[in-house]
Amino acid sequence: MSIVQINDLKKYFNDVRAVDGVDLAIDQGEFLVILGPSGCGKTTLMRMIAGLEKPTAGTIQIGGEDVTELPPRKRGVSMVFQSYALYPHMNVFNNIAFPLRAQRRELKFDKRQMREKVVHTSRLLEIDMLLDRRPRQLSGGQRQRVAIARAMVTQPAVLLLDEPLSNLDAKLRANARDELRDFQRSSNITAVFVTHDQIEAMGLGDRIVVMSEGKIQQIGSPQRIYDDPANEFVATFLGSPSMNILSANGFRFGFRPEHFLPKTLHDSPKNSRIFHYYVKRVEYLGSDRLVYGYVHGHEDDLTLAKVPSNVRASLDIEGDYEFAVHYSDIKFFDQDSGRRIEQQNLAKVL
Amino acid sequence: MGALVWILHNFWTLLVALVLALVGLRIAWRFYKYGATRAELAYILRRSPFYLVVLTFCFFAAAPFLIMFMHTFKTDGDLYRRPQPFIFRQDPTLEHLDALFNNTAYLDFIRNSVVVGLAVVVITLALSLPAAYALARLTGRWGERAGILMFLVYLVPPTLLFIPMFRIVVLLGLKDDPMSLIVVYPSFTVPFSMWLLSGFFKAVPPELEEAALVDGYNRVEAFLRVVLPLSLPGIISTIVFTFTLTLHEFIYGLVFIADTSQRTLSVGVPTELILGDVYFWQPLLAAALIIAIPVGLAYNLFLDSLVQGFTMGAVKG
Repeated sequence: MSIVQINDLKKYFNDVRAVDGVDLAIDQGEFLVILGPSGCGKTTLMRMIAGLEKPTAGTIQIGGEDVTELPPRKRGVSMVFQSYALYPHMNVFNNIAFPLRAQRRELKFDKRQMREKVVHTSRLLEIDMLLDRRPRQLSGGQRQRVAIARAMVTQPAVLLLDEPLSNLDAKLRANARDELRDFQRSSNITAVFVTHDQIEAMGLGDRIVVMSEGKIQQIGSPQRIYDDPANEFVATFLGSPSMNILSANGFRFGFRPEHFLPKTLHDSPKNSRIFHYYVKRVEYLGSDRLVYGYVHGHEDDLTLAKVPSNVRASLDIEGDYEFAVHYSDIKFFDQDSGRRIEQQNLAKVL
Repeated sequence: MGALVWILHNFWTLLVALVLALVGLRIAWRFYKYGATRAELAYILRRSPFYLVVLTFCFFAAAPFLIMFMHTFKTDGDLYRRPQPFIFRQDPTLEHLDALFNNTAYLDFIRNSVVVGLAVVVITLALSLPAAYALARLTGRWGERAGILMFLVYLVPPTLLFIPMFRIVVLLGLKDDPMSLIVVYPSFTVPFSMWLLSGFFKAVPPELEEAALVDGYNRVEAFLRVVLPLSLPGIISTIVFTFTLTLHEFIYGLVFIADTSQRTLSVGVPTELILGDVYFWQPLLAAALIIAIPVGLAYNLFLDSLVQGFTMGAVKG
């Protein structure tokens, strides 16, 4: 059952179409990631769900109720900001208790119950020994936990997270990702997570919404989005290094560098398209070798291949090789719209 | 009295002794901490010109206070005897202080000034807090321009305004009443405070307010619970500044109020203690000193946030 229902949502800032007609249904208990390059409207979309930004057109329903015109406090959502937005003049306890104090006016519960809720939530996030500290005395990881605790303490219908991991250093980030996912699973809360980092998106999301220029490009599971991109934007945005795109006979086609391997490595060359590949340079990256070169007939486009290091193919600098891609790994796109073309026989045309 | 006489007689000796003692203690402390090494001696030698300059500036800053303090206790004969070295040739006296408090309306002036000052501070805060917040947050391009326009109002001098304002005061029936000043003073304190406060409000990240909005509060509550506590230094310096603006305002106070017992300090002291070309120097200086000390202390306490407030307005405004 969907808990958030967004219909044809638009937000224009003067002439800029930040969000341009978004339809989205978020399911109860799912971890939804909104992924896109900066300026694609993902943060604006989240701020409209939170009620911090008024939509130009369209509706938002949360829990079956139309909340488009409601202020943030009446929507049953909470939010973790990119900067965490902890109140610097309050200690950790009061930061976490802050939303509860607002709730106390409507839901009657006494100070003792409030204290219990704060302590309970802080235990879950393992920050219960920091309750007396001020935000500025905390490390980045601790601040992030306090921000999540503050967002979780009222048990909101939807938890919105705006790039909460981007301020952590790389080592902490993987750990925080794992903990965030565990925490979301165990509390069974609906989470909407905005990020521009595809690794975060792939690792965290049940479903990923890929956005660009204010529009949703594709919605699907991480695997679906990676293996079966809906258009050229999604295909090239995901994956590092990104997909090689070449044009031919009125359409464009692409294949991922990790699928572009020396011919000898393909078990059935019959099912693969063979390219004459001129290798310009090889980078050794430990687990992989990254090969830079040109496909014969497409000398304008740099084409990359990612060959696992344990493959004992000799790739001498500067030379012609035969590389191949399995036909099922080649994706075809419309020349003009960039939309995916599902046409297997195109492969024979190549 | 005996102790005071002794202090005043040896005033300069004591002052020099105090400064030398402080410098000596500082050097002694460094020796105690680091030992009498060559490096330490070199350090003290290297730093001494700096401290000498600081001491000179301190003296110039403090000299008016020292002179006011000394002359308060001088007898007429001693004060007018030439040349006028800063020493006591006759015994100090308390008669001028006694005259100031018992023969003039000095206490009334203080009371009027404090009442007017506090009332103006309250009105100014009530008007400029919401205005400054609106200027800092809720406006686009035109808001910024409106803010500059409002600040321009502050630049119209009271010397141009006191005649029309006087008509209004008479119309309101507030002539000879400190209430008239409470009505008129906000005309220059509000634009100024608004400008000062909006700089502080701009320094509070908007995300903090948005967090409060999501956490279940409306905008007014978010302002009261998050923005206000975080701009407390700004609010305190606004209070100090507004209060001193009213304290030294002269022309409105002079024109609107003719009744001596209703006058404020800035008008009452010069009109009561200067008669024609006769200056009653000792009570005059005493009256100035008594007011200058608390104001000076308040300024020193909040100096940092005052400077911060001005520069913030300057950079972002």
